[in-house]
Amino acid sequence: MNENGPNIDKLLHDLSERAKELNCLYQIEELLKDYGRELDDVLSKVAEAIPTGWQFSDVCCCKLDYGDHAYCSSNFAHSPWSQTAEIVVQGLVVGRIHVHYLENRPQADSGPFLKEEVKLIQTISERIAGFIQHQKLNQILREVERARDTVSPTPSSDWRIVIDMLAGTNTVLYNRIARKLLITLCRQGTPEAIELQRIFSSDRSLSQPGTEEGENQPRRIESSIGLEANSESIFRIASEHMPSATILNLVQDWMKEDRAGFLLKAVSDPSISLGDVISAVRRFVLLSPSGIDLPDFTKKSIRVALLRRIFSDDLDYIRIAKEFVNLYDFHELLSRVVYPSGSHGRLGGKSAGLFLAESILKKHAEEFPELAALRVPKTWYIASDAQSVFVHYNNLEEVVEQKYKDIAQVRQEYAHVIQLFKNSQFPPDMLQGLSMALDDFGDKPLVVRSSSLLEDRFGAAFSGKYKSLFLANQGTKAQRLSALTDAIAEVYSSTFGPDPIEYRIERGLVDFHEEMSVMIQEVVGTHVGKFFLPSWAGVAFSNNEFRWSPRIRREDGLVRMVPGLGTRAVDRLSDDYPVLAAPGQPGMRVNVSPEEIARYSPSKIDVINLEENCFETTSVQEFLECCGDELPDVANMVSILDGNEIRRYSIADMDVNYQEVIVTFRTLFEDTAFLNQMHRILSILQETIQSPVDIEFASDGSNLHLLQCRPQSAGQESAPAVIPRDFPDVACVFSANKYISNGTVPDVTHIVYVDPEGYASLEGIDELRAVGRAVGELNKLLPKRQFVLMGPGRWGSRGDIKLGVNVTYSDINNSAVLIEIARRIGNYVPDLSFGTHFFQDLVEAGIRYLPLYPDDPDVRFNLHMLQNSPNILKDLIPAFAYLEKVIRVIDVPACTGGKVLKVFMNADSNEAVGILSQPSALPVAKSVEGLVLGKTEKGEHWQWRSEMVERLARSMNAEEFGVKALYIIGSTKNGTAGPGSDIDLLIHFGGTSEQKETLHQWLKGWSLCLDEINYLKTGYRSTGLLDVHLITDDDIRRQTSYAVKINAVTDSAREIPLGSN
Amino acid sequence: MATKSFNAFEMAQAQFDQTAKQLGLDQATCELLRQPLREYSFAIPVRMDNGTTQVFRGFRVQHNDARGPGKGGIRFHPMETLDTVRALSMWMTWKCSVVDIPLGGSKGGVICDPHNLSGREQEQICRGWVRQLAQDIGPDRDVPAPDVMTNAQHMLWMLDEYETIRGARFPGLITGKPVGMGGSLGRTEATGYGVVFTVREALREMNIKPADTIASVQGFGNVAQYAIQLYTQLGGKVIAISYWDQKEQTPRTLRKKDGIDLGALLQITDRFGGVDKDKATDLGYEVLPGEAWIEQEVDILFPSAMENQITASNVNKISKRVKIIAEGANGPTTPDADIEIHKRGIFMLPDLLANAGGVTCSYFEQVQSNINYFWEKDEVLGKLDTKMTSAYLRVSELARKKKLYMRDAAYTIAVDRVAKACRDRGWV
Repeated sequence: MNENGPNIDKLLHDLSERAKELNCLYQIEELLKDYGRELDDVLSKVAEAIPTGWQFSDVCCCKLDYGDHAYCSSNFAHSPWSQTAEIVVQGLVVGRIHVHYLENRPQADSGPFLKEEVKLIQTISERIAGFIQHQKLNQILREVERARDTVSPTPSSDWRIVIDMLAGTNTVLYNRIARKLLITLCRQGTPEAIELQRIFSSDRSLSQPGTEEGENQPRRIESSIGLEANSESIFRIASEHMPSATILNLVQDWMKEDRAGFLLKAVSDPSISLGDVISAVRRFVLLSPSGIDLPDFTKKSIRVALLRRIFSDDLDYIRIAKEFVNLYDFHELLSRVVYPSGSHGRLGGKSAGLFLAESILKKHAEEFPELAALRVPKTWYIASDAQSVFVHYNNLEEVVEQKYKDIAQVRQEYAHVIQLFKNSQFPPDMLQGLSMALDDFGDKPLVVRSSSLLEDRFGAAFSGKYKSLFLANQGTKAQRLSALTDAIAEVYSSTFGPDPIEYRIERGLVDFHEEMSVMIQEVVGTHVGKFFLPSWAGVAFSNNEFRWSPRIRREDGLVRMVPGLGTRAVDRLSDDYPVLAAPGQPGMRVNVSPEEIARYSPSKIDVINLEENCFETTSVQEFLECCGDELPDVANMVSILDGNEIRRYSIADMDVNYQEVIVTFRTLFEDTAFLNQMHRILSILQETIQSPVDIEFASDGSNLHLLQCRPQSAGQESAPAVIPRDFPDVACVFSANKYISNGTVPDVTHIVYVDPEGYASLEGIDELRAVGRAVGELNKLLPKRQFVLMGPGRWGSRGDIKLGVNVTYSDINNSAVLIEIARRIGNYVPDLSFGTHFFQDLVEAGIRYLPLYPDDPDVRFNLHMLQNSPNILKDLIPAFAYLEKVIRVIDVPACTGGKVLKVFMNADSNEAVGILSQPSALPVAKSVEGLVLGKTEKGEHWQWRSEMVERLARSMNAEEFGVKALYIIGSTKNGTAGPGSDIDLLIHFGGTSEQKETLHQWLKGWSLCLDEINYLKTGYRSTGLLDVHLITDDDIRRQTSYAVKINAVTDSAREIPLGSN
Repeated sequence: MATKSFNAFEMAQAQFDQTAKQLGLDQATCELLRQPLREYSFAIPVRMDNGTTQVFRGFRVQHNDARGPGKGGIRFHPMETLDTVRALSMWMTWKCSVVDIPLGGSKGGVICDPHNLSGREQEQICRGWVRQLAQDIGPDRDVPAPDVMTNAQHMLWMLDEYETIRGARFPGLITGKPVGMGGSLGRTEATGYGVVFTVREALREMNIKPADTIASVQGFGNVAQYAIQLYTQLGGKVIAISYWDQKEQTPRTLRKKDGIDLGALLQITDRFGGVDKDKATDLGYEVLPGEAWIEQEVDILFPSAMENQITASNVNKISKRVKIIAEGANGPTTPDADIEIHKRGIFMLPDLLANAGGVTCSYFEQVQSNINYFWEKDEVLGKLDTKMTSAYLRVSELARKKKLYMRDAAYTIAVDRVAKACRDRGWV
């Protein structure tokens, strides 16, 4: 242990030295990139920059000799402590670099100089040599071009000058040009050329095209040796048969192509490491900062090779991306990649999506100026194989087996895996890269995102399965580096977490060699008080799957926005609401009245706390109170709720009562081009990528930033359903073809049908209200998310409740689908509500909405089934039996011989059907990804629950607890329990209050244990798995509370035999 | 089928018929008051954002303006019907009459769903509505106000259109305007305070000191909060309130037997009147089921949340101690529960009277707008007190003298005043 301290100090010191050296190199690279500058100017700047890279930079000076000139750093003086490197261009020493220490310094590897410094001076001299060579070449090219321009009217043999020069300097290129010229001549049909070709290739096919060798026989090899020897003859033939100008053009083109040759070789040779690819790209860009006019096919082939090398083999991706990306973007991207030595990694799906989106939008920016202001935050990437290197470096190979273990075991061990990773070391070359990244970022907060090779591939959205971690990035460099590596280790470990593994198993991807690239992205935002945050952020979808008005089309898109970090907009929230807007219909708001607007406004905000160095969630009100004034763009974000009015926030508003400040984004939507800009972005991306997309964005108050782009993900429940076609007419309960969203609702066991005619015929307002109350009661009794509510007109009507059943959200919150039926009255069809009364609640809870127009042509509406199936209303809620003609509760399995209702909705084809079908066997029910939606493991959820209940019952000392009987109800009884379902027990209790207390204690123990078991199986955690309802003799007599379930007509409680003591 | 179904207008007429019978109104007066005086139904063409034109249907019903210019809201509702608007305009006539303000009853609306309309389109509807009616509304003819799905913004658009047509400023055209744009101070307090003014007078007549009473309040919104504030100032003690728990989608009652601390509770209340249950527990409140507010052993119940809260099934849970029920909400008591309350002799402060503070304040807004001089809040609330108190005294006097249930007394006075105005004008 004791040895570790100094070692770490040394390591840190070394690291900071390396960083210094790299910074120096970078500075010099920057200078040498600028070809516009005069050589003198560049070299004297380089001389100034060199000393900064040395260990004792305060006493370091430099002199650069080139030709007759000497360029010195300002403090230059000769001293005995020096090192020197030669600048060699084309084998000739053209200059020297001298580095001196002005004072004596301790002895190191080479005099007072470190061995790294020896290497550094060497590298710098090579770079300078490259630069000089390039300048020279450029000069020659310029002269050639000038010669062509001036002499072109009478082009004699200018090309000869070039060719002769090549013959002396670059024989490889000389010969290659000769070969290409020969092929051109042959194509032209020049007899001498054909003859020549035949002589040294002996290939008859050239001269006798008709006699090709059999196609199954290998072609003969052309001898290129003969060709090389005859280059001179080829040029002669050419000069006789071609105009000089043509030859000159051809030669020039081929010379240019040749300059890209090394790049093409580097990117297409899979054995060349990522590092070499990156330097080839850099070299190419350095050689031609203003762009080489390469033939299109060469450019395309370089782009494709790079896309494949850096991102993905996915053909769809490459097909689209190759049209938009350019080499200089790659250069930009690759200058920020951290990779292990010898790396062959890639940058993962998330990086690929962002890179493509940025390129596409950049290309469209000329046509649509509103796109020009779009930014992408500074991002560094870690190559995917760095993860394996990390794993091997720390001997963590055993974790790779995780994915083949039982999922419960994976879950159990996951916490351990995270710690194991976090306690591991990064290889030094990676640390060096990360340190450079940190220098580049400064102390701006960062987000570390996974960019897995599986993630966000076209067709498989892995959203949220892997981690994204926020870092405040404050403190000393060492602290920041350690926080960064810690976060990366954690992101790495998330590959081995139970959720991604389960997800991969489900999708048949478990055997894929999963490697994860990492993106380190600057958090977009500003300092506000002690916080750092974007003013606002969110996600946007090019397809709107949650339309709240028939005027909104699917292609109008959807934006979910929140103040602060976008984390709150990405996930569905149970207790808060993002602000929604449809960019294609900027005027259409979900919420209209001031009360609605306020109720559905975001109440919490995610921020980075720079003082505490952490990510946190705080209340919007508190945040605005403390530092609202400092938040850029706040005036576009908030409104004041003033009684019955929502008014604009103005800086002249003094003494603002923050109770009344709400986030509405109204001014942003109404007064700025934001929504138009968003709509443009989404439609361009959707059109180009040829798939709906979703993007993440954030604004620092002045610029909109694109953070992510990927094909629009559809959770399993919101994926477009494949509409079954081959079912008998009688099995269809309803169909629809207007305003359909996506989704599949399997296993509906109950239909609550409020008969439109019956409802309209109710005379008194009390009866109308009673319908609403009855629905509320049914909502409590029917199995959660397994019943649909069908009713006339507008669910949730308040004023004129004859137009729709008067319910609040709590009266319908357990339903699976809310269906509104618009029947024609005379010649007019009433408007439906589209769930506007509680639209956002429906969205966040995942309750589906479906409008039916039974009188439309081409739709089916099985009135017979709905009106004539046995009605179990009076058995469920006897108090409302008098509404039997109005409310019909249909127990689907009971009256169809065990079938259930399945609802399939497909927004793409604008179709929906509800059909009766067997609960488990519906082969057509596949999602777009081709995966069966059937609940194969669902059975397990209720089975083990049911077994455990029987065990519990057996071990219960009924007498001691005063228990008379035990029943099971709900999803476990019905065989529909999901991974998060609780176990509903009904206990007929007849004991004392002390017995009750002991019983509760005893059950609590069980509850916690069962919860733990469920957690290990599924990852769902709650405060206990048992939901116990005690009923008394009195309840049973009066049929109150859950007692109605005992011996009920439908969904009745099942009695479980109790153990005898 | 339509005639068989529930019809708000028929219901309002039936209620009127009953009162008219009690008053012994002649047939012509009955005929006149059973129907609106004037009805306007018209088209509002609007150029939509996408360039198409859509025609909306607008209404204004002026039920009676014998006592003064009509007063009543404008509703935007997709399923608006003329019958609903008729019923509501009649109710407005009685409401203005019971508090004895010199205004009649009107109501209006447009068949539209603002959820399907952009802001600009809504503005066009508002302006179109006014263009059709500019000659038939006005500070001295008929005064609109916000109602279902309309708000201050809509009122300002309408006002602006009217003033443009008339070529002058008429802030008294419309009420519900923001303070500073012709609105009145004291509007937020008005309804809650109004309820307590009537309670105070009722207690005075019963010879009970407010300080000796305790109360339970249903609701914790605007009305309830200001009612609690004033009642507590008078010395009363609220021991329970109920509210809607948005997160758990259930109502709850909070109880503190030694009296709630309004200030402390407001600290942990969101802007919709939802209280943080856990923090309330920390503050020493008992968290009880939503319906528990009605069972409390208190002297006064303030149902000030929503309609249909006291029903046949829970009316029996009302404690024997309860002496007064003050209806802060609209229609919190169902008719069958009302009969039971009447039977038990609990003193009812009916909604028509008890929550008329709101409409009274609208009247004050109109008065201030007309004279273009705006009062301080104290002045508004002082005048409100005077109005509410005298309105109460008239109703309770009639109830006492004629042995009427308070609700019936309120209706009787209201109808009588309007009938008298019609007769005095020589209409009937």
